[in-house]
Amino acid sequence: MTNSARLQWVYAWLLLSPALVLLVTFTHYPAIKSIIASFYSTARGKRQSVYIGLDNYHTLVADPVFWKVLSNNFWYAVWTIPLSIALSLIMALWVNEKLRGLAFLRMAYFTPTVLPLIAVANIWLFFYTPGFGLIDQIRGLFDLPEQNWMGSPNTALYTMIAVAIWKEAGFFMIFYLAALQTIPPSLRDAAAIEGASKVYFFRRVVFPLLMPTTLFVSINAVINSFRLVDHIFVMTEGGPNNASSLLLFYIYETAFKYWDTAYAATLTTVLLMILTVLAIGQFFFLDKRVHYK
Amino acid sequence: MVDRPFGQTIQVRNLTKNFGGEDVLSGIDLTFEAGSFTALLGPSGCGKSTALRLISGLEPVSSGQVLIGDTDVTQTAPSARDIAMVFQSYALFPHLNVAENITFGLRVRKTNRSEREDKLRHVADLLGLEKLLDRKPSELSGGQQQRVALGRAIVSGKSIFLMDEPLSNLDAKLRAEMREEIRALQQKLGVTMIYVTHDQVEAVTMADQVVLMNQGRVEQCATPRDLYETPATLFAAKFIGTPPMVTFSTRVLAPDSTSNVTLGLRPEAVQIVSEGPITAMIDHIEYLGADAMLACATANGETVLCRASGSTRMTKGDPVSLSFAPADLHAFAADSGQRLQHIPPEIEAALSFQKPGLQ
Ligand SMILES: Nc1ncnc2c1ncn2[C@@H]1O[C@H](COP(=O)(O)OP(=O)(O)OP(=O)(O)O)[C@@H](O)[C@H]1O
Ligand SMILES: [Mg+2]
Repeated sequence: MTNSARLQWVYAWLLLSPALVLLVTFTHYPAIKSIIASFYSTARGKRQSVYIGLDNYHTLVADPVFWKVLSNNFWYAVWTIPLSIALSLIMALWVNEKLRGLAFLRMAYFTPTVLPLIAVANIWLFFYTPGFGLIDQIRGLFDLPEQNWMGSPNTALYTMIAVAIWKEAGFFMIFYLAALQTIPPSLRDAAAIEGASKVYFFRRVVFPLLMPTTLFVSINAVINSFRLVDHIFVMTEGGPNNASSLLLFYIYETAFKYWDTAYAATLTTVLLMILTVLAIGQFFFLDKRVHYK
Repeated sequence: MVDRPFGQTIQVRNLTKNFGGEDVLSGIDLTFEAGSFTALLGPSGCGKSTALRLISGLEPVSSGQVLIGDTDVTQTAPSARDIAMVFQSYALFPHLNVAENITFGLRVRKTNRSEREDKLRHVADLLGLEKLLDRKPSELSGGQQQRVALGRAIVSGKSIFLMDEPLSNLDAKLRAEMREEIRALQQKLGVTMIYVTHDQVEAVTMADQVVLMNQGRVEQCATPRDLYETPATLFAAKFIGTPPMVTFSTRVLAPDSTSNVTLGLRPEAVQIVSEGPITAMIDHIEYLGADAMLACATANGETVLCRASGSTRMTKGDPVSLSFAPADLHAFAADSGQRLQHIPPEIEAALSFQKPGLQ
């Protein structure tokens, strides 16, 4: 290796190191540490942490709460991902068509995104409150009985889903709106001359041209469906009886409420595996259908 | 040429378009004969594209009528007007390949597969696109994209073609080739063509009829030859020709004249003679190879252009005497810009007085 080549090598590493250091200390190292910790027992008092092989995983398979939160998370994802994406697309199409140039209205849709999820949760707390919450007040107008939406095991999860959709749709809409504005109006004219209906034009032209955005948005939506749990802290704390608990919330409880760090590490490993599989699968599945300009 | 053209007649009556309180088109009356090629010519912003969009139905009219054949289509959807359109930007669908772009309309109309394939093959063959059918528009050159846009129009089987500056994105050489190709195609198919351009060479070389527009009005609608030889207005006179007609006041020919008339001469109509009606001094010379354009300053400070042979040895400051055939002199009302049938009597007198000197 010549001197100058060696120098370049040094430069390369120097430039990479800040990002690398941060990434390794706060992402890679903790992830690997968690995976390792999942094969050990939790240290309690004088008892040292010892290697216990797959014991934690056996516990996990037998843990009804784990299955409960996993299924909750599944339904949470199944509802929030498509609904928030569909809603954001509909809003973007509407804003793009009818409200061209009204930056103020666009901002209005974006507000939920700017607000911290904790603040959003407080707003929705007011909507849901039995008796004098907004929803019950409206129901009252029609002489419908009070309903404790967040307190009932049947509806608690759905109250969380509604908040997440409300929060995410505005954010995704901005991406769709930006993408819609890059579609030249002459394409619409060309399709109109050929007699394509609005629906046909959307299905065959607009939607395919939005595919890169849809891919981006849906990966975000998937990750968020496992990541966004702040509102649960404020609104239901996972209750009643874990009806609205999600995987990440359960991990938090296990680690910092029950201090079973090894079991929390096991749950984290499972969460990591799920996210990895989903991200990769999604990327390969959708990438084939995406037209990049 | 086809015996009976396949295309249909288009008429627009008192067509007006208003955008935000401003008349972009005001009271356009035109007839486009079946199977003819009409160029809509005019400076940028004069309303050519708007006129085309009103005829196509992509833009609703503010008032007036559009008739295709004998039917009033003013309220008809674009797709039901029997028109195909080629856009300046081509408007190809970026995610579809060439074949899918060409057959887009056939799919919309649910044409069956074998018919679609046949038509596609026929059009691809006609335009030399066979090898490109699987490519995406981004993988094509400008000229190839243009051909695909043309293919989409042809395959539709419509009898009217509307084109909005379809060649403006191409280089000069390709433009000249495509010009001929489009003209040949129009004659072969017998469609009625309305072709928007701001390039007078395109308009004059391709069209049967040129509609010259200015500020939302029709200045003149005529054959290319008539447009050149008898411009109806000062605007038309100064828009057509490279360089265009030179205009000057009557005082150049009759120093005492006070008439409110503007005269015009095309540079090629002016000759240098030993003794002519205009005496001037060469102000500057533009050498063009075969020709040289002499800008001559007249006694009263105006300029007359004269096209001379490129071999001329005249230089700046030389005195010249200029003459022209009286028939080449154009006269326009200075205020309205309208063409006058007769040149003012004092000019007539000045010219006949000079006549002996000409011989
Ligand atoms: N959608 C619109 N809203 C408001 N004004 C418009 C609209 N479309 C066109 N105009 C105005 O109408 C006038 C004519 O526009 P048009 O596009 O027809 O011109 P053009 O002759 O095609 O010009 P160019 O050669 O530059 O394409 C312009 O002054 C333009 O600003
Ligand atoms: Mg235009």
